[in-house]
Amino acid sequence: MNAAEELKQKLPAAVVSTGMQVNKPMAVIKKEELLNAARKVKEMGFDHLSVITGTDYKDHFEVVYNFFSYNNKHNLVLKVIADHDKPEVDSLTSLWKGADWLERETYDLVGIKFRGHPNLIRILLPDGWNGHPLRKDYDMNTEQFVTVGENGDDIVSPDGTNLLRRK
Amino acid sequence: METDELIINMGPVHPSTHGVLRFKLRMDGEIIKECTPVLGYLHRGTEKLGEMKTYLQFIPYTDRLDYMSAFPNNYAYVKAVEELAGIEVPLRAEYIRVITMELNRIVNHLVSIGSLLLDLGASTMIMWGFRERENALQLFEKLCGARMTFNYIKPGGVREDIPEGFIPQLNEFLKDMEKRIEDYEQLINSNEIFLMRMKNIGVISAEDAINYGMTGPTLRGSGVDYDLRKYEPYSIYPDLDFKACVRDECDSYARYIVRIEEMKESLHILRQVVDTIPEAKIVSNPKYGVAPMTGTPSAVSTYFPRIFTPPTGEVYSRIEAPKGELGFYIASDGTTKPYRVKIRSPSFCNLTAIPKMVQGLKIPDLIAAFGTIDVVLGDVDR
Repeated sequence: MNAAEELKQKLPAAVVSTGMQVNKPMAVIKKEELLNAARKVKEMGFDHLSVITGTDYKDHFEVVYNFFSYNNKHNLVLKVIADHDKPEVDSLTSLWKGADWLERETYDLVGIKFRGHPNLIRILLPDGWNGHPLRKDYDMNTEQFVTVGENGDDIVSPDGTNLLRRK
Repeated sequence: METDELIINMGPVHPSTHGVLRFKLRMDGEIIKECTPVLGYLHRGTEKLGEMKTYLQFIPYTDRLDYMSAFPNNYAYVKAVEELAGIEVPLRAEYIRVITMELNRIVNHLVSIGSLLLDLGASTMIMWGFRERENALQLFEKLCGARMTFNYIKPGGVREDIPEGFIPQLNEFLKDMEKRIEDYEQLINSNEIFLMRMKNIGVISAEDAINYGMTGPTLRGSGVDYDLRKYEPYSIYPDLDFKACVRDECDSYARYIVRIEEMKESLHILRQVVDTIPEAKIVSNPKYGVAPMTGTPSAVSTYFPRIFTPPTGEVYSRIEAPKGELGFYIASDGTTKPYRVKIRSPSFCNLTAIPKMVQGLKIPDLIAAFGTIDVVLGDVDR
């Protein structure tokens, strides 16, 4: 029995289905039950949160969590499906501190909100950037003008009104 | 006397931030109360580019993530593609890949240790490190024509076969390097000033290191015996004899020693590989299997199709890069371009722990601790 099926046995209400991500067992989790499932996963010995990936599938978002257990040398993948209109899932920062930046990055580039994150602001792009570049409907032709304000904050505008000289 | 807190911006252009990274430091006198890294100055949208390029076109972009060790980047991406499409790799190609990756590990650690010592005010080590690095870069140049950005490892194999005279030159490098590492240890390991700057500085416990998602030498410096090459083996690593280098002190000194030990292990691996490299084909094709020819360069690079479509699916594949766990998540929708490429870079995740490590220390200690994390900003910002 692999880790995904073990999780299903322990939390039958939370797991929608189980499968494989090539060679890693994967469990699709109900959006509302993510935090519960993650807590259980940590109890099962998966102490390393390797990566969080958000993907835009046009009609829905997928958030994929890759876990690893240093003691048992096992992998486990959790997947959550979020609505396209209002993508929001629970934050795992209370369980893994490493989730902090990974969630901020996912919010920054894909635009998925993490409920309960202590500091959900952009990390790679300047504050105030318009849109989330890894969404499939992001318009690559949008111009963005970035300058640095007096106190070091980023100032972004789509039309260049923040610049001293227009280009 | 009334005192006030002071906000100091360290960076984005500061010699000790190894690129364009800014630390926002909230200071109480000389003590760091809070350290907030500000990133993104080198963000080039590599993940978005991945969605717009074909599978093979994206390989050169991976070179430019962690430009100090580009071979492992190439390999991590290619390994993900191979797992996704189920491509088999000829044994000789795997040997060549391991040679390049281990050489690159030595190069990376030389620069890492050199710049760490330079940050602390000792300039000898970076000169020595670059001297030996030059020999390794000449080997790379001989192999694929480039010194830092290689575009050499391809799905199904490598781009070109080993040129004539490469193995003798590599043997010479190995012989030389062994003595050089002894020199480094004599120069640095028991230097009193160095020890005072490194011991008990930037301490992070094993539990915290795991919780923050640290990997690589930084994790092993905290006493966690974990090396993906050993415990989730890939390529030909299962057949090789080496050990994961672990230290229990959890401080900056431990992380430095781990890097020195890893260079020795890499030499050990290289010596085994050089002796046993098999004579065989170096590239395979998803449709037709291993190439029928031993490669003249042009034949090899045209054998693997420029445009190929892996089956629909998703894969996350990770390797032990010099800086830690480097992973690529690829989602394919069955077209010629990836639907989504996500890069899990070791520098980004290791940097997460810096605020915790330096709280309550002084600014020079931040520089020492940050030097032993060994980040490259191309890898952090992507």
